[in-house]
Amino acid sequence: MTKISARNIYKNYGAVEALRGVSLDVAEGEIHAVCGDNGAGKSTLIKILAGVEQPDQGELLVDGAARRFDSPTAALKAGLATIHQDLAVAPDMAIYQNIFMGAELTRSVLGLRLLDKARMRRESLGYMGQLNDSITDMNAKVNALSGGQRQAVAICRALRWNANVVILDEPTAALGVRETEQVLQLVRSLKRAGKTVILISHAMKDVAALADRVTILRTGENQITLDGGDLTADNLAHYILSGEVNRVH
Amino acid sequence: MTLKKIVETYGTFLAGIVLFLFLIAFAPNFASTANLLNVLKQVSFLSILAFGFTFALISSELDLSFANVCSLSAVVIGFLISTEVAWPLAIVAGLATGIAAGLLNGFLVTVLKVPSLISTLGTASVANGLAFMITGGVAFVGRWDPDFLYLGRGKIGPVPVIILFTLAIFAVALVLSTQTRTGVHIQATGENEEAARRSGINTRGCKVLALTLSGLAAGLTAVFLVANLSSAAPQMAGDFMLNGIAATLLGMTMFTPAKANILGSFVGALIIVMLSNGLVLLGAQYYIQDIMLGIIIIASVAVSASVLKRAAFAL
Repeated sequence: MTKISARNIYKNYGAVEALRGVSLDVAEGEIHAVCGDNGAGKSTLIKILAGVEQPDQGELLVDGAARRFDSPTAALKAGLATIHQDLAVAPDMAIYQNIFMGAELTRSVLGLRLLDKARMRRESLGYMGQLNDSITDMNAKVNALSGGQRQAVAICRALRWNANVVILDEPTAALGVRETEQVLQLVRSLKRAGKTVILISHAMKDVAALADRVTILRTGENQITLDGGDLTADNLAHYILSGEVNRVH
Repeated sequence: MTLKKIVETYGTFLAGIVLFLFLIAFAPNFASTANLLNVLKQVSFLSILAFGFTFALISSELDLSFANVCSLSAVVIGFLISTEVAWPLAIVAGLATGIAAGLLNGFLVTVLKVPSLISTLGTASVANGLAFMITGGVAFVGRWDPDFLYLGRGKIGPVPVIILFTLAIFAVALVLSTQTRTGVHIQATGENEEAARRSGINTRGCKVLALTLSGLAAGLTAVFLVANLSSAAPQMAGDFMLNGIAATLLGMTMFTPAKANILGSFVGALIIVMLSNGLVLLGAQYYIQDIMLGIIIIASVAVSASVLKRAAFAL
């Protein structure tokens, strides 16, 4: 079943045509990567899915129904959570505070709405357990975590929003080998939890290791979509470098 | 908890207790009831102001105007009472003055994007000028309504009401900052404004609120100061500027290291007032206090900075 369908999306920034009729079909429960060289239009497409930008033309369908996201909150409410490269965590605050930032749980004490910290810690642990059961102290500050673990915190925040589509923008950029492996595990556990994942990445090896399908963009247009045996790191690099639009293997 | 962590978290607090015991043992009359109540009274004025500064600092903004705004509020109250306006109205006007100054600071910081270091310095100067304008440079003194003076001088049993008010304000500030959504939103705004904004937090509102709380604290302190001294002068809260900043920064070395926090600011105010009081009783020259304040300010920030650095190196 098609979870997300972007059809014939156009987006201009002044005279710059960032997207020229791009289409993207993401099946429910798959890991779908979007690749392409700089300027291919990946970021613009993601911004549209995240509600940060609105398309000039084209249609966006979620579960078959046409949607328009006027704000990041609208996208979140439709179940699409985007984790940007900078993660947007507060390093000096606790893990559970980051996971519940802006949506803190409260309980009534003598008629006052006070924070329900115990419940937030418990629920955070539940979210974290789906991704990385080595992180157990929800009071720990995010700055005590590795890059991969921070990614887990950001993903937990997406889960807390009940997102069933998680969009990851360059999740392994600037990470070391071991941390990259952690993030790959995170993405796999998202898939196991039944989430649909859209992955934007320059790292061909990571994409080949994770993705069920890959859509390659080139100068604002669809170049080719790969799946199955065609989906190798070498092939990805070949298509992105050559710009070829037909399957050659 | 490791020993290092205990020292980081409670070191200053324990040092405060040691100081207290030292002064009891060696400073003549320090332990007398009259002197201890006097210390607590001074702590009242100082800590309420420090709570306001603390909220501003939690939101990552400075409020360098609180002392002058406090003086201005005091002068407004004194002026109104001396022109025979009912004292409850005068109090409302004094609090409103503080709130207005805080809102102005919030507007300057969030809308005009003037850094708070500069905008609140400007507000401080304006408030100072207005205070002198209202008084014509002299102080309002007079025989004021005893009901009003009760706020600053009254006692319930042996305990000055002002201390009870302060404890109540302390409790409200503590709960607001640590146990409510508003409190965490102010904190998140101060820690990472962009992350807070993307999480749906009204970060501008949080900054305006934090600076307005600082203004309100200045207004509240003014009420107690005027009622306590039954006079109002344009520079009456001037000394609280450095003391309030020092109390808050000293507070950052306690309980939640490297973070401004209400409990820390309260203990910080206690330590600073005890120290000033003790130095006088021990016969130290008046200028020693200024030197001491400067050292506390610099040392507190140096300690907090080293905690922050260690946290950063732990990556």
